[in-house]
Amino acid sequence: MSNFFYVSPEQLIKDRAEFAQKGIARGRSIVAAIYDVGVVMVAENPSASLNKISEIYDRIAFAGVGKYNEFDRLREAGIRWADGTGFTYSREDVDARALANYYAQHVGDMFTEGPKPLEIEILVAQLGNQFRPTKLYRIAYEGTISDEPRFAVLGGDAETIKARFAESEQDLEPLAVTLRNAVAALAGPDRVLASSDLEVGVLEDSGNRRTFRRLSDDDVSRLRE
Amino acid sequence: MGLPLFRTGDDPGPSFFRFAENAGLTSLPGAGDVASAHATTVIAVRYVGGVVMVGDRQATGSYIASRDVRKIEPADSFTAIAISGTAARGIEFIRMAQLSFEHYEKMTDATLSLEGKANYLSPIIQRNNLSTPLLVLPLLAGWDPSHQVGRIFEYDGAGGCYERLDFATIGSGSPFADNTLRLGFRSDLDLEGALELGALALYEAGDNDPATGGPDFVRNLFPMMVTLNAEGFKELGDEDVAQRFRTINERRTESKGLAGGTLR
Repeated sequence: MSNFFYVSPEQLIKDRAEFAQKGIARGRSIVAAIYDVGVVMVAENPSASLNKISEIYDRIAFAGVGKYNEFDRLREAGIRWADGTGFTYSREDVDARALANYYAQHVGDMFTEGPKPLEIEILVAQLGNQFRPTKLYRIAYEGTISDEPRFAVLGGDAETIKARFAESEQDLEPLAVTLRNAVAALAGPDRVLASSDLEVGVLEDSGNRRTFRRLSDDDVSRLRE
Repeated sequence: MGLPLFRTGDDPGPSFFRFAENAGLTSLPGAGDVASAHATTVIAVRYVGGVVMVGDRQATGSYIASRDVRKIEPADSFTAIAISGTAARGIEFIRMAQLSFEHYEKMTDATLSLEGKANYLSPIIQRNNLSTPLLVLPLLAGWDPSHQVGRIFEYDGAGGCYERLDFATIGSGSPFADNTLRLGFRSDLDLEGALELGALALYEAGDNDPATGGPDFVRNLFPMMVTLNAEGFKELGDEDVAQRFRTINERRTESKGLAGGTLR
C-alpha cells in the first residue's frame, strides 16, 4: 500500500504560483502600450537575436517574458494557428481574441495539470481597424486572461513599472513620447537603458498588409532624442 | 482549429506546407479527372537589371472560362510566381507559396533565399502532380538580393527545379513564345528590350495558340507585365501595357500579318 499525502488544492495552487512567479521574476520586463496610431512593445533585452517580441499576423503581435523556450514555443504555435486559420478561411477571420483564449486555455491547463506550470507571461496585441478594436490581451502564468485598456506590463517587477508608466502617460501620445515613457518606466529612477539593450516592435498602419515592424537601435535612438 | 502545439519530434519547423499537411489543411490527393479551366502562357525573360514577366489572362476549358485571370502574382516583395495547368490547383499553389514564405519569415525572423524558395516548391509540385491528373506547372522568378541578380526557376512535371539563365516559358503557348524568345534574346538586354521582347513573344503565343489570350482590343484587356529588380515586384500600368501591344499590332497590320524578316 502506498502512502497518500493529502495536499489541499489551496496549498497546491499556492506552491505552483510561487514557483511560476519566481521563474518569471528572474527575467526582465516588457511594456506594451497603445499610442495615437498604433501599438508599441518595448522589452529590455540585451540579446539581438533571441527575440521576446514577434509578428504573429497582419495586425497581431506577440510578446513574452520568462523562460525563453516556453514562450517561444507558444509564439510559434500562434503563428501556425494564425496562418492556418487565414489559409482555411480568410485573412479577415484571424482574430487576436480567439488566439488569446487558446493561449489562456493552454497556459491554464499547464498550470493545473502539467508537470510544472509554465514560467511565462505573454501578451497578444492587436492593431484595430474598421472591424476590430485595438487590444492588448495579457495572459498570466496561471491562465488568467486580462484585456488591458491602454497598456500592459509583463514580468517580475510589473506593479512598480506599471505605476511609473501610468504616472508619466495619461493620454494617447505619439510614438516617440510613449516609447520614452516606456523606457523610463522600465529603467526606473536609478538606471539608464542604452538603445542596444532594448527590443522594440510596433504595429502601425503604413499602407502595407503587414503592420508589424521592428525598430532598429538607430530608430530607437532617434525616437528617444 | 485549436492551438497547434507539437512535441519536439513531430514539430514541422518553419515549413507551412508540412504543418498544413499535418493539420489536414491541404487538398486531398487522388482526385479524379474532372474538367476544369486551364491557365496558359507565361514568359519570364532575364535582363541586365532583373527579370521581366508577361502572362496572358485567359482561362480555357472547352470554352473560354475567363478573360481576366491573373496568372502572375507576387509571392513576396522580390519574388513572383506564375502558374500554368489546372487553375484551381494553381491558385491554391500560389496561396500556399505566398503564405509559406511569410510563415518562414515570421517563424525564424529571417527571409528565405531565392534558391531556398525555389527548392521549397519542388516537393509541393511533385506531390500534386504525381497524385492527381490536375497538373500544375509554376514558374518562379525574382530578384536575388544576396547575389544582386534576377533569377528564373522552372519546374518539370515531377517537381524538378531548373534554373534558367536566359528565359523560360510555361503553358500551351510555350512553343510559339519560346521560338520568339530564342530569336530575340541577347544576354545584354536592357529593361526596355526585355519588355519589348516579352510582349512580342506573348503576342506570338496568343496569335497561334487557341488557349492563350492575346491582347483584347475590344474589351481593352491586355496581358499582365511585371518587372522584378532591386526595387522589388512591380506591375506595369494598364495604359503602358496597352500601348506596347498596340504598337506590335500596328506593325503586324502594316505587314499584313507577317512577322517579317526581323523580329517585329
